[in-house]
Amino acid sequence: MRTFAYERAADVEDAVVAGSAAGTMYLAGGTNLVDLMKLGVARPERLVDVGRLPLSETEELPNGGLRIGATVRNSDLAAHAVVRRRYPVLARALLAGASGQVRNMATVAGNLLQRTRCSYFQDVSKPCNKREPGSGCPAREGEHRNLAILGYSESCVATHPSDMAVALAALDARVQTNARTLTLGELYRLPGAHPERDTVLEPGELITAIELDPPPAERQVYLKARDRASFAFALVSVAVIAAADGGVFRIALGGLAPVPWRARRAEEALVGGANFAEAVKAELSLATPLRDNAFKVPLARNLLVRALEVVSA
Amino acid sequence: MLEEARAGMPSFVSDDLAAEPSLDPDEIRERMSGNLCRCAAYVNIVAAIDEAQSQ
Repeated sequence: MRTFAYERAADVEDAVVAGSAAGTMYLAGGTNLVDLMKLGVARPERLVDVGRLPLSETEELPNGGLRIGATVRNSDLAAHAVVRRRYPVLARALLAGASGQVRNMATVAGNLLQRTRCSYFQDVSKPCNKREPGSGCPAREGEHRNLAILGYSESCVATHPSDMAVALAALDARVQTNARTLTLGELYRLPGAHPERDTVLEPGELITAIELDPPPAERQVYLKARDRASFAFALVSVAVIAAADGGVFRIALGGLAPVPWRARRAEEALVGGANFAEAVKAELSLATPLRDNAFKVPLARNLLVRALEVVSA
Repeated sequence: MLEEARAGMPSFVSDDLAAEPSLDPDEIRERMSGNLCRCAAYVNIVAAIDEAQSQ
């Protein structure tokens, strides 16, 4: 059995000092990290528990936006009256993820930082460039039915598993850390030659909150296609927000890429007057499916066209 | 689960996320999905929960 040290951070400053040491990882809800430790995928020498830091409030901002503390539980955020009424795309995405019991434990910052569920990443008997840089990627030729068709690299074809992050990408959410503010697009990095780094966060850098602008419109939708009706990761998911004046859409896709995928091409095509089918086609022309996941292209096309029709109805 | 519904928490299958949830069989199945006891939403469990919510 692997032993590790455990300590509870007193405040953010204390956490960052402790979390910057080599071999240290932050623990909050533990719904992903503890699993990965049991599998031997994550092998921290020390855990710094940030789950009890005073970062669990969701508050409305003077400008009409929302500030969500890093340790707000997924279930509490989904049930929050303001989120349900004004950010339904976020509430629906949260409720689409995991199960009630997992959502009761999982924090929003932990949700953002959860690791891929690629089966090779989670199996220490197999090579994986994300887990062991330079060891290789069996997924390219192996089991990749639910892996990426967009944004992947020679070294890694994993997908980001979060539903919540897809809604946040469409909402142009900002992520606050102890050191800086990042857009969601800036937080995540594409794998390139270094799939071991999912984000740009530095060692010890701690997410403290997520900030949302005032909600853009009432017309928001989150749709998710999966292998069973509940408690399953997305094959494809889509978050679409239509501006109140019509015409401008914000679109993000899940299940297709190593990051929550903001569909800028489709958005620009719609601004340029394309119809829904043309805009979706423009985005998915970027896709390069693997042997067994080409089904995601028509699935994403149909789901996204439907979402655009729903928000426009 | 019944307490969460009574507190107004919506589920993925709730049509209107801002409305008070009404626990029909689809709602019960979704809310029991992934329950630690994996019997979750077997037909008799759904019926039992439906009965319990009216008591």
